[in-house]
Amino acid sequence: MSQPRKKMSLSKKHSLSGWIFLAPATILIAAMSFLPMIRALILSFKTGVGVNMKWAGLYNYTRMFQDRIFKTALVNNFLYLIIQVPVMLVLALILASMLNNKDLRFKGLFRTAIFLPCATSLVSYAIIFRSLFAVDGFVNNALIHMGILKTAYNFLGHPTSARIIIIIALIWRWTGYNMVFYLAGLQNIDYSVYEAARIDGASPMQSFFRITIPLLKPTILLTTIMSTNGTLQLFDESVNLTSGGPANATITMSHYIYNMSFQNVPNFGYAAALSYVILILVAILAFFQMKVGDKRE
Amino acid sequence: MKLRKILSGVLAAAMVLGMTCVNVSAEEEETLTVWCWDPAFNMNAMYEAEKVYQQDHPNFKLDVVETPWEDVQTLLTTAASSGDLSTLPDILLMQDNAFQKNVISYPEAFTDLTDSGIDFSQFAEAKTAYSVVDGKNYGVPFDNGTVVGAYRTDVLEQAGLTVDDFTDITWTEYLELGKKVLDATGTPLLSMQAGESDLIMMMLQSAGASLFDEEGNPSMVGNDVLVDVMGTYQELVKSGVMIEVNNWDEYIQTMNAGTVAGTINGCWIMASIQTAEDQSGNWALTNMPSLDGVDGATNYSNNGGSSWAVTSNCQNVELAADFLGATFGGSVELYENILPSGALATYLPAGESDAYAEPSEFFGGDAVSAKLTEFAGKTPSNNTGVYYYEARDAVATAIANVIAGGDIESEIQTAEDTVKFAMGM
Amino acid sequence: MSKGKKAAQYIFLTIMSIISVFPLYWMACSATNKSVDVVRGKLVPGTYLIENFKNLIASQNLGAAMVNSFKYSVILTLISLVVCSLAGYGFEIYHDKGKDLVMSIILLAMMVPFAAILIPLFQMFSSAKLLNTTIGFMLPTISTPFLIMMFRQSARSFPHDIIEAARLDGLSEFQIFYRLFFPTMRSTYAAAMTITFMNAWNSYLWPKVIMTNGKSLTMPMLVANLVGGYVTDYGMLMLAVLFCSVPTIVVFFILQKSFAEGITGAVK
Repeated sequence: MSQPRKKMSLSKKHSLSGWIFLAPATILIAAMSFLPMIRALILSFKTGVGVNMKWAGLYNYTRMFQDRIFKTALVNNFLYLIIQVPVMLVLALILASMLNNKDLRFKGLFRTAIFLPCATSLVSYAIIFRSLFAVDGFVNNALIHMGILKTAYNFLGHPTSARIIIIIALIWRWTGYNMVFYLAGLQNIDYSVYEAARIDGASPMQSFFRITIPLLKPTILLTTIMSTNGTLQLFDESVNLTSGGPANATITMSHYIYNMSFQNVPNFGYAAALSYVILILVAILAFFQMKVGDKRE
Repeated sequence: MKLRKILSGVLAAAMVLGMTCVNVSAEEEETLTVWCWDPAFNMNAMYEAEKVYQQDHPNFKLDVVETPWEDVQTLLTTAASSGDLSTLPDILLMQDNAFQKNVISYPEAFTDLTDSGIDFSQFAEAKTAYSVVDGKNYGVPFDNGTVVGAYRTDVLEQAGLTVDDFTDITWTEYLELGKKVLDATGTPLLSMQAGESDLIMMMLQSAGASLFDEEGNPSMVGNDVLVDVMGTYQELVKSGVMIEVNNWDEYIQTMNAGTVAGTINGCWIMASIQTAEDQSGNWALTNMPSLDGVDGATNYSNNGGSSWAVTSNCQNVELAADFLGATFGGSVELYENILPSGALATYLPAGESDAYAEPSEFFGGDAVSAKLTEFAGKTPSNNTGVYYYEARDAVATAIANVIAGGDIESEIQTAEDTVKFAMGM
Repeated sequence: MSKGKKAAQYIFLTIMSIISVFPLYWMACSATNKSVDVVRGKLVPGTYLIENFKNLIASQNLGAAMVNSFKYSVILTLISLVVCSLAGYGFEIYHDKGKDLVMSIILLAMMVPFAAILIPLFQMFSSAKLLNTTIGFMLPTISTPFLIMMFRQSARSFPHDIIEAARLDGLSEFQIFYRLFFPTMRSTYAAAMTITFMNAWNSYLWPKVIMTNGKSLTMPMLVANLVGGYVTDYGMLMLAVLFCSVPTIVVFFILQKSFAEGITGAVK
């Protein structure tokens, strides 16, 4: 007869219930993401067209150093990341803390309005942005009217301005989205803390830096990792706003990988290798972000 | 013992066979699944073909699933690379430019139709060439993209010109006329999407030139026609005769809003031109300019077009082939029925039908269909090659850089390097 | 706050709102105009709405697409929230070295572009005979690293002394989760629900690849069909896009109160 294990320690029991809680989700991710990822990894060591794949060792990985388009894409992704993510998150944080103010009126209206961009279908938003920045579009007309520009400027036709437009579009689309997490996170901060701070003579600025930011740290970490990942995998804007142009100047890595897999002669081995480069880059960044942001006090 | 085992094995096999036979006969209702993407155009053509075929085959039914071209390509790639073709339809519509690439990359996904009884000699040869791989026919031609020069007659008039002045001309003459129109009206003749190589490809094909040689190797460096074409393109932009826009919507807008006096594109562009009903009667069609001093230069080319392919997931190839052969490959009636939707036949006997002589009010009372069929017959064939899309992209990048001030020769070199890189050369 | 500062705040918020709402306004206007007017940049409402609607339902099965999208998004959102919140709770409340490590590994799962795992995933589903099934459609998106992490991060503010007290009262671990954690975290659930619903509603590539029999048309597929042809009817397209955007906006509007004015009082 087996002995009933009565003496299982309390902490062991809790640890076990923890594993049970996270088991379904973890198993699903292992099956739905890691299994195919392993297959993709194997694929990245093969080369060939379509289904005729042969082992090629590290060929795909060494090959990318000669790949001009990939280099442009890599630079673009990092450019978008460095500029867009901080601006967007700070803006989202400011908006969220403004909208968390109990005395503010029309809160629901403001919140919904600012959330709207990410719910607006990509098709329409791409068309609108393209027509806004067209040569005879609204922005050019306005700038000429204000005397800032003399003749219309082809914003989407020049590499630098096209990149800036992608960044603006990203900020426009995702600020409200990130604001949602901050708003939800702010609810876990007792409002009386702010009132106490105010009575103690703290300015709104001070309470923002001393109360809001430290208490929102877990949420800020979440949004930073998600946005980093989202920007390094940027696809929609590159495809729909600029089609990667002019002359591949705004193409992103995911866009390039997609083209290689589904538009051009399929080269899955190389596409998989490029995907693993993205994985490693995001993983390194996420690792540092976790190191800095995931400490429990 | 052994015998009994063998016997029972044979029996079981026979039973299975018998059952499948029963299944086959139960499926007499004859349904085929089709993927294509435009309700007003190729889907409509399929529905019309269904009606035509049903006259002799009352049990026949089609299941047409609307699938945008990009998705047809993605789904095809996914299914073929996974080795599970069961998700594919019986028939799918394929862009001509992608035919070689797909059949050569995934030969097991398609059915060879050479000996299926379809008479391929009834189609223009330049058209069937897209879907022939190693001498075998894999596609039944559908629409073509015969290039037209479309002009605003009312704008030309202000410069004292008519559409006849633009017929059978060269690009040099086109440039001169363009400057004239620009001076008189301030309107450019042409708009094109920046970062796309449509015009370059049309110009190349009009002289029977290509980006690849016979063996499928890139032939851009040292390709005099390409240098000439890029020079012409550059000249068009510099002179202001052609304006570049950034995307498709803007391109359509230039025509609909009347900011240009014409366009040059595949004949399918007529449908978009005609959405501006208030411009009815002010448009006229003619052929495109030809390249100067190039051997084999013509005023005819092609941009786009598609053909029907039978997948190897098709359980009833005989039926599929018979259906396609009796309709798209044999029914003038079908082509008459779908002509109003703008679906122009590449099936030669259809061009002689009376329906093709009907005048079009929008295009100044011209017998547009007959004209286009005539153009199609004169179009030089095109060598797409497997790496067509890579080459197109590379050339598009090259021309964008040239317009931004780059040097033609070195940009062509870069383009060829890019294509060779993609080919693993 | 001084009056001037307050006014500045309202002005700032109003400007941000206008910038955010403008494309929706444009979309709504365009839905009432003829295609050629949309292309020409008309910015005022027109009279073509009914015509656009007639064209839309004549060319596309709008009703079926709305119903399908709703069905999938609602079911997917509910299952997803249960599975992921359980996991997020498990990762944070019972955290130890092992679980933190598993969490970091899980994060890796979202860092590979979907285009790269599409074909291996399709192969798996084809050998499991899950092509053209609802389960196959939903399985890959039920558990996402993003949602798990979101619940993990918000569980960090869930006070441990409440758990201890509940344990002394004899509540089981699962009871603590659904009687205490679940109601307290209403704001997080509401935010997560909005985002998950939106992602499910807009998902395109995987549904398209796995549901190939044409019987599972969803709203994003319908919109894609409209831009896939040789001629785009922009008025009709914008009407379809409007239909495609409104549900997410409505869900947000209904839920925003609960995640922005959560019942913090419960945790004390």
